[in-house]
Amino acid sequence: MTPSNAQRTTNPSRRAAIAGLGLTDMGPVYGRSSASLAEEAVRRAAADAGLRLSEVDGLIVSNGVSGGVGLGLQRDLGLLDLRLLCEMQGFGSTAGSMVQYASMAVESGAAEVVACVFADAPLRPGRTAQDAYSRGGGGGRDASPPAGWGGLLAAAGVRGPNTMYALAARRHMERFGTTTEDLAAVAVAQRAWAAGNPLAQYRDPITVEDHHASRWIAEPFRKLDCCLVSNGGVAVIVTSAERAAALAHPPVHVLGWAQCHPGLSLDRNPDFGIVTGAARSGPAALSMAGVGLADVEVVELYDCYTFTVLVSLEDYGFCAKGEGGAFVSSGATAPGGSLKLNTGGGQLSAYYMWGMTPLSEAVIQVRGEGGDRQAHPHDLALVSGNGGVLDHHATLVLASGRP
Amino acid sequence: MTAVAGPGPVARNEDSAAFFDGTAAGRFLLRRCRPAGHWNRPQAVRCAQCDSPDLRPEPAAGTGRLVSWVVVHPRPGADDPPPPAVPAIVELDEGPWWWTMMVGADPAGLRAGLPVQVVFERPEGSEAVPVWTPVRGQPPT
Ligand SMILES: [Zn+2]
Repeated sequence: MTPSNAQRTTNPSRRAAIAGLGLTDMGPVYGRSSASLAEEAVRRAAADAGLRLSEVDGLIVSNGVSGGVGLGLQRDLGLLDLRLLCEMQGFGSTAGSMVQYASMAVESGAAEVVACVFADAPLRPGRTAQDAYSRGGGGGRDASPPAGWGGLLAAAGVRGPNTMYALAARRHMERFGTTTEDLAAVAVAQRAWAAGNPLAQYRDPITVEDHHASRWIAEPFRKLDCCLVSNGGVAVIVTSAERAAALAHPPVHVLGWAQCHPGLSLDRNPDFGIVTGAARSGPAALSMAGVGLADVEVVELYDCYTFTVLVSLEDYGFCAKGEGGAFVSSGATAPGGSLKLNTGGGQLSAYYMWGMTPLSEAVIQVRGEGGDRQAHPHDLALVSGNGGVLDHHATLVLASGRP
Repeated sequence: MTAVAGPGPVARNEDSAAFFDGTAAGRFLLRRCRPAGHWNRPQAVRCAQCDSPDLRPEPAAGTGRLVSWVVVHPRPGADDPPPPAVPAIVELDEGPWWWTMMVGADPAGLRAGLPVQVVFERPEGSEAVPVWTPVRGQPPT
């Protein structure tokens, strides 16, 4: 079990905070390797914090689908005698988990200044976003057929996350009566938020009719139910609250963290599409932070698809199980609504940096640097990562101050 | 009725050889534990319920219920677009779930809980692929 805040014995001055955020250009950024984007993101994060790069003594690197970000990033950055270095992979949950492990390292004294970075460059000129993320199988004319259990999935047309998440969404729709209009409401609300985000790839407003007019990808998903695909890199710097307080920005304190990995991928799973691991990582992270759901002022939920947002809202308890559709269709999550959700437009409209998308927006919001899209109040943020096909969950609770 | 695509080709490997021997003979082999008779999915190496490593292949009845399905539409623009494919999840009557595809059914008529049965298709150059179709004469429940 996650220890409650009361059991957390770390000296408060050593508790972790995010002191720096670095983002590269996002989107169809061509001619750059993922390693070069990662390097730039770390340099920007250190500069943002007001740290010399040489003060970084811990580095956690992570990859998207294009690979290429490895332990060699240490050399690219010229970092000597690191006290912590590893590569991590938890797919969409990686960012939250990286911050968790970096925080644990800082709190234990294993490292003092840990950079966590994600970068990916799947887009190439002339290749569609869908191609960048589709699994192979049966496509090539001279390719031998895909083999074994994975080959059977490909033979059945289960060739990537669009289909697999759509299977989850269909189940929710059949069970609870969730509709395509409900899914559209998520896309429309997030695009409205993106209008205020200068970093967003798509900022022009869309309507429910635009959603319905966008082509089917894997029914019940249309194109506007699916995240975009981006090249880019994002890094954060985690250090002690004491150290962070002396740096360039007010600290973003890491109050709570938790993961949940249910472990039933492709197996019999009555919860598939109905309840995700966020239903356990959420309460655990809030308990560790010593706060309740009602205290949360900004919510950044992983949004690989509109449906992921809808089911996550239920699992965290922002609405009752099965009522996510009605909740989003009420306008509660659009700008001006009761819940400040995915305030930068998320991965549906802004940029697709896996768990770094909700994390980066949470840091911006808690700092109060959200400009036209700034939420008020913004002192406590919940950040959710989700990876695999609802298989890996990481939740963070971030705050401008300690409770 | 909307025509839907059949499965693509698949090859066997070491782990799946016995399963494809079964599909070639028109059987869908689950793996059943000897100690307690628990049914496990075809790729199981230990029993999910009692952790026994003592599993033997045993044919399933070949019937189940539709858990979920998706309609993968062809990309627009093709002169002669292929029919849509219908990847699906089926709950076998023995208990395990199987990620597969539906054939021989208009996607508009599919519902969760629909009784389905296995059929075996053999695309060119492929092992026999188990796919699923509605049980004839059974209305959705
Ligand atoms: Zn057993």
